[in-house]
Amino acid sequence: MSAAVDDELWSAIGDPTRRTMIDLLLSDGPGTATSLSRRLPVTRQAVSKHLAVLDRVGLIHAETAGRERHYQVDEAQLARAVAQLSAVGATWDARLRRIKRVAETIERSRHHDEGG
Amino acid sequence: MEQGTIERDIHVDASPEVVFEVVSQPEHMREWWPDDARFESVAGAPGELIWRNADTGETTTVALAVVEVDPPKRFSFRWCFTEPDRSGPALLVTFDLTPAGTGTQIRMTETGFREMGWEIAVLEARYQDHENGWDHYLPRLGGYVARLVATP
Repeated sequence: MSAAVDDELWSAIGDPTRRTMIDLLLSDGPGTATSLSRRLPVTRQAVSKHLAVLDRVGLIHAETAGRERHYQVDEAQLARAVAQLSAVGATWDARLRRIKRVAETIERSRHHDEGG
Repeated sequence: MEQGTIERDIHVDASPEVVFEVVSQPEHMREWWPDDARFESVAGAPGELIWRNADTGETTTVALAVVEVDPPKRFSFRWCFTEPDRSGPALLVTFDLTPAGTGTQIRMTETGFREMGWEIAVLEARYQDHENGWDHYLPRLGGYVARLVATP
């Protein structure tokens, strides 16, 4: 997937209302714009717009049943987004390995000084 | 999906005093993170982290603010501020040090991703390191130790 699509994925998930919607769809199962708007302090129209953003980046997908579209979370795509946050964690792993290396080098040099 | 915090533990074979110096002093921070770090290790002090692009010579400066300095137990700072005057939401990095045997256990937490939106995580990754880690770092460390030993 291209970097541009990744940016969209990140901004889709960067919005607190959209994150809450994903949380609700995960905990309660598939939902509609109407059912989600009952649980959120925003209008049904606003919920529909957020759903469209999430749908566009593939974080949710819809099935039409009766008069309304029923949305559910695409767990594979959600896992990708979460994996990207883990990648940020990996940068800290690298920094901490260097902290360890620097501190241990200083510790050894001081011991060496004391011993010598 | 509470993914707003990054938490890491690592054991270091060095005393908490030494580890505290390494995480909290700008001259040491330069060895493990940005190309340059400027701040006084004092609670409330403003500071800067600086990255240099080796190819273009351009520099990127990111504001930092020291939050807590409690040697040799805790050092924390904020960075990635959303407002230019070091206000608004920011990421908070905390190093908690605990004695462990003859060494030190470091717990690093970085919080604020959830409040700031996850885009910031991408931004944070941009300030990673000089990557690719050891290629850059090993020659550097050699010079660093030489300077350290040469210091009377």
